[in-house]
Amino acid sequence: MNPLTTNPSNPPKASLGLGILPVVMMVLGVILCAIGALKSFHLDGGVDFGISWLLAFMFFLSIALGTLFLVLVHHLTDAGWSVGIRRFNEHIAALLFPQLALLFLPIALLAPKIYSWMTIDPATDNTVAAKLPVFTKPGFWIASAILFGIWWLLTSQLKRWSLKQDETGAAECTHKMRFYSGWGIVAFAITLTFSCILWMKSLQHEWYSAMYGVYFFASSAWVALATVYILTVWLKRRRVLAGVFPDGSFYFIGLLFFAFTLFQAYTEFAQYFVVWNANMPSETFWYLIRENGSWWWVSMVLIFGHFMIPFFILLPVAVKSNAKVVIPVCLWAWLMHALDLAFNILPAHHPEGFPLRWVWLQLGCFLFMGGFLTWSLAKNFAKHAPYPQRDPRLLEAMGVNLNVANDLAGSNPAEASR
Amino acid sequence: MSEKIYGLIAEFDSPAAILHAAEKVRDAGYRRWDTFTPFPIHGMEKVMNLGHSLAGWFSLALGGGAFLSVVGLLWFTNAFDYPLIVGGKPMFSAPMTFVPSYIMLIMGGAVGALVGMLALNQLPRLHHPLFKKPRFVLASRDKFFLLIGALDEKFCETETRKLLEAIGGAHIEIVEDEA
Repeated sequence: MNPLTTNPSNPPKASLGLGILPVVMMVLGVILCAIGALKSFHLDGGVDFGISWLLAFMFFLSIALGTLFLVLVHHLTDAGWSVGIRRFNEHIAALLFPQLALLFLPIALLAPKIYSWMTIDPATDNTVAAKLPVFTKPGFWIASAILFGIWWLLTSQLKRWSLKQDETGAAECTHKMRFYSGWGIVAFAITLTFSCILWMKSLQHEWYSAMYGVYFFASSAWVALATVYILTVWLKRRRVLAGVFPDGSFYFIGLLFFAFTLFQAYTEFAQYFVVWNANMPSETFWYLIRENGSWWWVSMVLIFGHFMIPFFILLPVAVKSNAKVVIPVCLWAWLMHALDLAFNILPAHHPEGFPLRWVWLQLGCFLFMGGFLTWSLAKNFAKHAPYPQRDPRLLEAMGVNLNVANDLAGSNPAEASR
Repeated sequence: MSEKIYGLIAEFDSPAAILHAAEKVRDAGYRRWDTFTPFPIHGMEKVMNLGHSLAGWFSLALGGGAFLSVVGLLWFTNAFDYPLIVGGKPMFSAPMTFVPSYIMLIMGGAVGALVGMLALNQLPRLHHPLFKKPRFVLASRDKFFLLIGALDEKFCETETRKLLEAIGGAHIEIVEDEA
């Protein structure tokens, strides 16, 4: 597919090429979720179904937020190399609304079962009273709605102007996307921090950690980069991005992935270290619970599997653009990120150790959500051109150095002739 | 003071010319030769069969060494030589050592990279045989030089000179070294 010869009024279309896989995942997921829900409601009033669902939800939320971050940063830094992979990132980010908002509904409904602070009287618990009015039932639902609202505005506008540029090729579209990225990155930081505190950290509302938002951001970007690497290799193999993403550019995704491996470990350690150093019971209890039973082993797996092993594998220069090495690390990163979220979410209700007896339900939630979101993504991806058709930096992304000013190069003739 | 031959140097006019010349020198079986150009030339590293720099290993060794020695120092001072309770913490534990030893890891890594780079380049040195060639200044302007070292097994003053002539080198000169 040569971008130079494509007709802007009739852009090339390509499918994600996953066939019926998403549907199969959805069907299997629905079966497991249905059995799980029945069993969970029978045994514990739906708590285990709720937290399993929350676990899977936070996993896919972090991927969507991470890709949104990549799109924002692409515009803010006026990047050239990532033009070819921007479109599918926009599609994934756009899953925040309505898809992920829909998937949030079970959590909103089960919230009083999942979050213990919802059933505590603020008059008797200062740690809840201090967080009023957000930490009330209406506060929780309104705050959640606002978060999805901001994400909807941001992702839909970024996608809209990107698609519009496919038709018009106008500079205005780039300027609009920069405008949304400008305030968007601030809104992104605030909403991401708020979302992880509201939906994940509040499971143990007594706990304080100023690192939590940064930690969740680093994890989101990390797992999103792993996903982007996998999708880019997949789409290149299918010759969809062949022209617009040269092999050399894999180094950039690999490098970012490597950098966030380190940054994520840094945030996770910094959080631990601050708590360890201050040694206050109101903070240490969170980690003490996570040293019980099998949680101790989970934390060890995280130190080595989430950080050490990927770090040393990705360290050499040449490895970062070697798909045969990076792809397994990316798949491993999915598993490690899920485990890391489990380490954050599940001990609130299972302080005795990892609830192995519910693994099949967690798997069901992952299958269903993964299937549903992939199915949505595939549908959106096939509907539009697979990469921005008339982005001013498309040639740069292709690794073509064109000194002649034309519409595609986007340079002005006076500058080019110098 | 006797003069011995360091190598033969030839001059080229363009990046393409020296790249093709380098290919032929390689194909002729020479091993100890080098090129000097005003800017990096794409593909030259492949022709010259240059691998990655080994400086990273120096970095790893010094960084790792610094990390472990600070861990050792903290253990020795806090837990062994003069056990001291600070803030109700254990005498020795991993989180305690991490921050200072991590800082030293960064410094050790940086020093290792610098020292390793200098050592691998045999620097610092006060003189180099090539500095005696007045035309060699042009290597940082607009000329491209190729040097075949006298230490090369295949080096032969007349044969090597013929090769350099055949591949289009100009101003072929003997570079002398003070033994």
